Amino acid sequence: MARRRSSLAFGLTAFLLAGLSPSLASLLPPSQEPAPSYGDALISASLGEPSTLVPILASDSASAEVCSLLFNGLVKYDVDLRVTGDLAERWEILDGGLTIEFTLKKGIRWHDGHPLTTRDVAFTYEKLMDPAVPTPYRGDFERIAGLTVIDDRTIRVRYKEPFAPALSSWGMSILPEHLLKGQDLLTTAFKENPVGTGPFKFRRWIRGDRVELSANDDYFEGRPYLDHCFFRVIPDASTIFLELQAQGVDWASLTPLQFARMSQAPAFERSFRKFRFPSFGYTYLGYNLQDPKFQDRRVRQAINLAIDKSEIIQGVLLGLGREATGPFPPESWACNPEVQPAPFDPSYARALLAEAGWSDKDGDGVLDRAGQPFEFTLLTNQGNLTRELTAQIIQRRLKEIGVRVKIRILEWSSLLKEFIDKRRFEAILLGWALSREPDPFDIWHSSKTKPGEFNFIGYRDPRVDELLIKGRTTYDEASRRKAYHELHRILYEDQPVCFLFVPDALPAVHRRFEGVEVSPLGVGHNLIHWYAPRARQRFRLEP
Amino acid sequence: MNKTLAAGWILLAGFALAALAAPWLAPADPGEIHLEEALAPPGGGHPLGTDQLGRDLWARMLFGGRVSLTVASVAVLLAVTLGVALGSVAGYAGGWVDLLVMRFTDIMLCFPTLFLILASVAFLEPSLFNLVAIIGATSWMEVARLVRAEILSLKEREFILAARGFGASGARIVGRHLLPNALAPVGVSATLGLGSAVFIESGLSFLGIGIQPPTPSWGNILAEGRATLGVGWWLSLFPGLAIFGLVLGCNLLSEGLRKLHD
Repeated sequence: MARRRSSLAFGLTAFLLAGLSPSLASLLPPSQEPAPSYGDALISASLGEPSTLVPILASDSASAEVCSLLFNGLVKYDVDLRVTGDLAERWEILDGGLTIEFTLKKGIRWHDGHPLTTRDVAFTYEKLMDPAVPTPYRGDFERIAGLTVIDDRTIRVRYKEPFAPALSSWGMSILPEHLLKGQDLLTTAFKENPVGTGPFKFRRWIRGDRVELSANDDYFEGRPYLDHCFFRVIPDASTIFLELQAQGVDWASLTPLQFARMSQAPAFERSFRKFRFPSFGYTYLGYNLQDPKFQDRRVRQAINLAIDKSEIIQGVLLGLGREATGPFPPESWACNPEVQPAPFDPSYARALLAEAGWSDKDGDGVLDRAGQPFEFTLLTNQGNLTRELTAQIIQRRLKEIGVRVKIRILEWSSLLKEFIDKRRFEAILLGWALSREPDPFDIWHSSKTKPGEFNFIGYRDPRVDELLIKGRTTYDEASRRKAYHELHRILYEDQPVCFLFVPDALPAVHRRFEGVEVSPLGVGHNLIHWYAPRARQRFRLEP
Repeated sequence: MNKTLAAGWILLAGFALAALAAPWLAPADPGEIHLEEALAPPGGGHPLGTDQLGRDLWARMLFGGRVSLTVASVAVLLAVTLGVALGSVAGYAGGWVDLLVMRFTDIMLCFPTLFLILASVAFLEPSLFNLVAIIGATSWMEVARLVRAEILSLKEREFILAARGFGASGARIVGRHLLPNALAPVGVSATLGLGSAVFIESGLSFLGIGIQPPTPSWGNILAEGRATLGVGWWLSLFPGLAIFGLVLGCNLLSEGLRKLHD
């Protein structure tokens, strides 16, 4: 389900892996050693400011991170990537998968004390389906035939046809009906003063500076040990690093250069633990497929052959990442291990371009066809040096095969609103942060090309459409795998985008916190079990 | 010639010469990527070291200087032309023309220049030409006011009255008699403007909305230097020094010119 446009690749990606609210509770018992103590605050840094705190509208990483601590879904993933109950105590799958009956846990209350009921679940569904609500997550709920509230704790969802991501799609955060009924989600005061069921309660939001949360004493999985959780907005990776060194930030993601070369000082090592694990997403070079230049598959294949991915991984990521070959990260069961990346081969690339009619007739070093030179502008977002450097390496490699690339770097929100949503681009360098549920319907299906939807490159392929439907309308893991493996192979051959790399996530967490552990979900999945031993706490709660 | 003026001239001339001779002074193409030599410290084959993509910093500084100086000087030329034209028309014509032109000038002055530039950059593609046009079009106001003030005081002098008595046309009076006498303070202001144009260009490129990569400019080299502060001090030191030196040169020159005229 939910995948978010990964903006600034240094977000706390651990939180965004899924549209499922991150599983804040681990199944493992909280850490050994002396009994955990309550208190202290955790300060994390985010490159982007949240755009909204209404979770069903949040498509950027910064909003999602904050929302994930404030809200819960019915289900979530556990550390073994199995779906487990969150607000739901249990569920039953009936009618061969067409009906799911959820039973909520007893006694859950909203942060304002109001009890949570299945009416809230039905209300959230209504909002997701309301055409006036611009949510990117509607696609996962369109196959529902109806919802029946049986009692306060039981709700039944019926699907029109088998829908594989059905269960995991209920990781979507549930909204409080009693506060939002009859309100416009875009303008409601709730979006700046949210009330959820999550482990932390909203305290305040100082625009352009920080969001403050404090522990929810009545959290149904137990009160978090930490008193507070602050998200500081620091729109520059170098400043974040300086803040880490000054101990103004406890948790942030490092850039490859910071991880590999700048954080070796003993003072830094003494204060921070660094982690490295593959992120669940990829960075790609996307083409506007409406543009005649990119409609010929041979041209796209040529560009793929002319870009040396290992050079980018070594030179820009300093080896902290891997080559991407398709729409699924290598850890995913949907990833087809037989798809091997084509080797870097500029002369074959030139031959393919010649076959497609591009040759340098006027001898100026740039290929042309029917008098038109082969040149395009590559857009990417500002503040992400990894992408800027990658763009320059691509520019240099494509120049060698006679393709002229201009680079334009744009501020994140104007890149999205003015260029991507309006399809005013020739090529883009961006990334996707993916969910654990592999269904990539929203990104590749030909029906998802409307403004604001995720197939903004305008890809349409009948076989791909068929496989996407097949992959989501069966529960049989083997046939889903088969469909996705074929999809992976077709997408690599067809090259609707040039898949570049899967970067490693490189978070650093202050050493005073105990209980921090990495799982396939990332590093923040058990935040409610993090604690700072009393003697090492830095912040006290003021009465 | 006073010492300040001389020092300013020497600094500016040095930068200008280096920029002009960039293709001969640079040991390598500023865009040439050598990933295996990334972040090499100064010395050896690279007098000022290399950046994250292994490009030679000395070459990038020289070509970046070209960009910075070209943008700044053309922008100042544009600003001075606009300022002189509007200022002299307002000053000489007086009346409602003066009122109109000066109120427009005031309106333009009300906006902080950087804000105006940021707003324009959002609409235009950040090309060299647009950058020059934007900086030029947002920094003529000072010159316009200076020229107008000079002309207002000059136009009541005897020699102007005499010229008018001889039947000289308005254009001739402004062009032959008024402007040459009003230009001294414009020179001072223009050299000062050159310094601030360099600053603006570097600032915009530093923020990523000025000169786009891979074209080097001191501002965007400095921006990259900030990301590598702990491991590549040379990437922030040298462009910083260059901007400092050039702006200092402009200020010294302007100060020297002012002393000369006083």
